[in-house]
Amino acid sequence: MTAEIVRLKRLKLEDLLQRDVWDVDEVRHIEVLDQRGLPIKALLLLCPMGCYTMAGERLLMSYEGCVECATCRVLSNPHQIRWEYPRSGRGIQYRFT
Amino acid sequence: MSIPSKFDVVVVGAGPAGCSSAYLLAKAGLRVLLIERGRSAGSKLLWGGKAYAQPIREVWPELDREAPIHRWVTRERFSFVWGDRVLTIEYKLGRSVAFTSYIPELVLWMARKAEGAGALLVEDVTVDEIVVKDGRVVGVRSGNDIVEADVVIDAEGVNRMLLEKLGLAERLNINSGLALGVKETLSLNSKLIEERFNLDKGEGLAWLVAGDITKGLPGGGFIYTMRDSIGIGLVLALGPAAKAAEEGVLKEHVSSLVESFRLHPYFNRFWREADVIEYGGRMTIEGGLSMMPKRLYAPGLLIVGDAAGFLVNTGYTIRGVDTAVYSGKLAAETVIEALNKGGFTEGNLKAYEDKVKRSYIYRELRDHSGIEDVMKDPFYFTKLPQVILGSASKVFEADYEEPTLIKSVMEASRDTGLSLVRAFLKLARVVRRL
Repeated sequence: MTAEIVRLKRLKLEDLLQRDVWDVDEVRHIEVLDQRGLPIKALLLLCPMGCYTMAGERLLMSYEGCVECATCRVLSNPHQIRWEYPRSGRGIQYRFT
Repeated sequence: MSIPSKFDVVVVGAGPAGCSSAYLLAKAGLRVLLIERGRSAGSKLLWGGKAYAQPIREVWPELDREAPIHRWVTRERFSFVWGDRVLTIEYKLGRSVAFTSYIPELVLWMARKAEGAGALLVEDVTVDEIVVKDGRVVGVRSGNDIVEADVVIDAEGVNRMLLEKLGLAERLNINSGLALGVKETLSLNSKLIEERFNLDKGEGLAWLVAGDITKGLPGGGFIYTMRDSIGIGLVLALGPAAKAAEEGVLKEHVSSLVESFRLHPYFNRFWREADVIEYGGRMTIEGGLSMMPKRLYAPGLLIVGDAAGFLVNTGYTIRGVDTAVYSGKLAAETVIEALNKGGFTEGNLKAYEDKVKRSYIYRELRDHSGIEDVMKDPFYFTKLPQVILGSASKVFEADYEEPTLIKSVMEASRDTGLSLVRAFLKLARVVRRL
């Protein structure tokens, strides 16, 4: 019974991310170059891994939890966000998808 | 890359399309290099969970015997959900035509097949550029290494950065006809799965859900049974979702929408003890013809799979893996025929586009192009489910007299503020194309 209640608890994004396996690259592969004109709310809510957060007025991108889905690439132009794949097999390692 | 620097064919991307091409070409005796950016083939892939078998069997007749198939789908469900009301249609298939699996497992199997046929699979390598010389594709570049090929098959997937660099595809943007898929895998033992979904041993279920689980956003939910897990998730049309976020209509993170689906009072009974064992997202194609590049070939180049926009979405089924494998087969056939006809000239490679246009892939994309209108229009995701569930509630929740069906529909549409005639015309127009 207790186990059931625990499992039916809403999981925070941080908890969900802990279910995944990454091999994080030391090199940043995605970078906000210029946040002017970016659909910031869309980036905050639609990046499935929550890589985008605000630090005051500043938009931060934490590439460590990225699954390379390219949603942020589609929501931006190359002057706003530099978007590359992580080098050589790094990044998300999906297993049960 | 300490490998030969010249191949007959270089295939970019060891997904379903790339593996299919590489396998058939290696089997025909060509020297094939299959390049994958993931640490192992399949490790960057996420899908809903279901593939149609017959087109895949055309490439690998041993599919049923050898592939890591989790369950053969014998039941299809479709539900409309609004509030605490749910209307479900279930179809028990006479014969199973599709199976569920984990895509990393399935694609790894396909990649091993390509290797077994003699293709050289190189993992851990990201292709930076498709190299063009004197107006024709002559190979690929990764870092400082260039590998030459007589023909390159682009199977890079939906985020087709290589094609964009070549100028063969427009840069992806929110009007490109894309959708965002977000998924959780829930671990549950196979016996419980079979009990709860009324399945016999080894049988599977595919379930699509429309209604307020997407908070009115164009899109829907899916549930697929795996061997000992369940895949659940949402697919949201990206343009409308981004607009809703920017306008403050969408107030929560997409992961929270998926969590609400997992915890939904009606649906959670199917998996309430299950642990979330993986979470992820991917970009996908809405369906229809909008993502298909103007040309599927260039001198020395063929485009297959998601990169070519080959995802069929009928509204009640979604197929991308079988179409990818099949397009890989058509590309391989074209390459072999071009060799026999004297080379990879534009004319000989154009045969690929002709093959695609004569195939079920193109016919399905064209015939189901109605989905593009559906994915743009909130009507289908707010008003329509409200009318359907409102009508059902009037029919089934009567304390004394039950109204006739038509009267219920009329009352429900009045409650929703919908002109029934206009709604009907709209539906009729789109249903013809689904």
